[in-house]
Amino acid sequence: MHGMIIALAGLFLLPCAGLSQPTSPIERYRKLEFPPKDENFAKGWQERVALEYEIINTADLKALRLALKDEDPFVRAITARALSILGDKDSADALAELVKADKEYLVRIRAVESLGYLKMKPQVIQMAIEDRDLGVSWVAKLAADQLKSDTDYAKQLREAYATPIQREAMGTAKVGQPAPDFTAQTSDGKAFKLSTIVGKKPIAIYFAAYDG
Amino acid sequence: MHQQAQLRLKKDEVEKLGALVFVVLAMDLHRTRMFKEENLLLGGGKGKFGKEKSIVYATALSDPAGYASALYGVARKCLRWGAWVENQPHWFVIDRKGKITFKLEPKFDTPTAYEKDVDLVLEELKKAAR
Repeated sequence: MHGMIIALAGLFLLPCAGLSQPTSPIERYRKLEFPPKDENFAKGWQERVALEYEIINTADLKALRLALKDEDPFVRAITARALSILGDKDSADALAELVKADKEYLVRIRAVESLGYLKMKPQVIQMAIEDRDLGVSWVAKLAADQLKSDTDYAKQLREAYATPIQREAMGTAKVGQPAPDFTAQTSDGKAFKLSTIVGKKPIAIYFAAYDG
Repeated sequence: MHQQAQLRLKKDEVEKLGALVFVVLAMDLHRTRMFKEENLLLGGGKGKFGKEKSIVYATALSDPAGYASALYGVARKCLRWGAWVENQPHWFVIDRKGKITFKLEPKFDTPTAYEKDVDLVLEELKKAAR
């Protein structure tokens, strides 16, 4: 009898357990097994990349605007980036508040970068140049330049994210194997496609961090 | 940035090999342009690259969504030593047949480690040119 009750309870509880699983990309980012903390630098990057693409391409503006107030600073940071790439000018006030008052420098960086992409709130960007954190100040200077430019950087980013990367394709560049093809833009704005030059000359590619 | 500055010092060797060199940044076009054209990080300092205006010889490529970086397994999108890092720097060499023949992850373990890294890349480019 007891066994039957437990089995029946299980039948009712299992679907509920399924419903409690995080489903939205923002929710899954919040619950990443390896959130973007120092100790996870070499771990779980594939999931971070995949979710960033998914957050941007799902374009759930309502959920994203709410997530700007999330407790998790990594969620606030990626949300700020996503909203600006999506060109959501309605989020400019909330982004400006983050630039002015968020205690986490990473969030202030992403928020001021986002105002640059949206080309809004020049006074806030100017104020961020004086931020106590050098990283924020640096990004604010770049954002101030972007305000003056005719280029729609948000649109360029949107187009770049529009081609999703398959998880199984991540990290497939191996010694002894053909070089995976990719497209990019040269710094003077020209289209680049690796496969159009591969096989003609020896090539060296350096994947850089801004300071590395 | 030091890797790129060092490569620039060796550009004659690269040209003699008829090789092409690229630097990929998981950043928007504006940041990529600044990286290529302005010596923002080493300029003004007392080091050997301090007086140079631009120190990047390679063709700079903007990969703003980090697609190429993920494909090549170098994307991180993570804090490191308290700063946000899109990519863990890596070199790749591709031969005339389009095959990857060399991969190097710089360790930055000494102040001049980049010199050795770039020499290794040049050695591999020589082999790839054959």
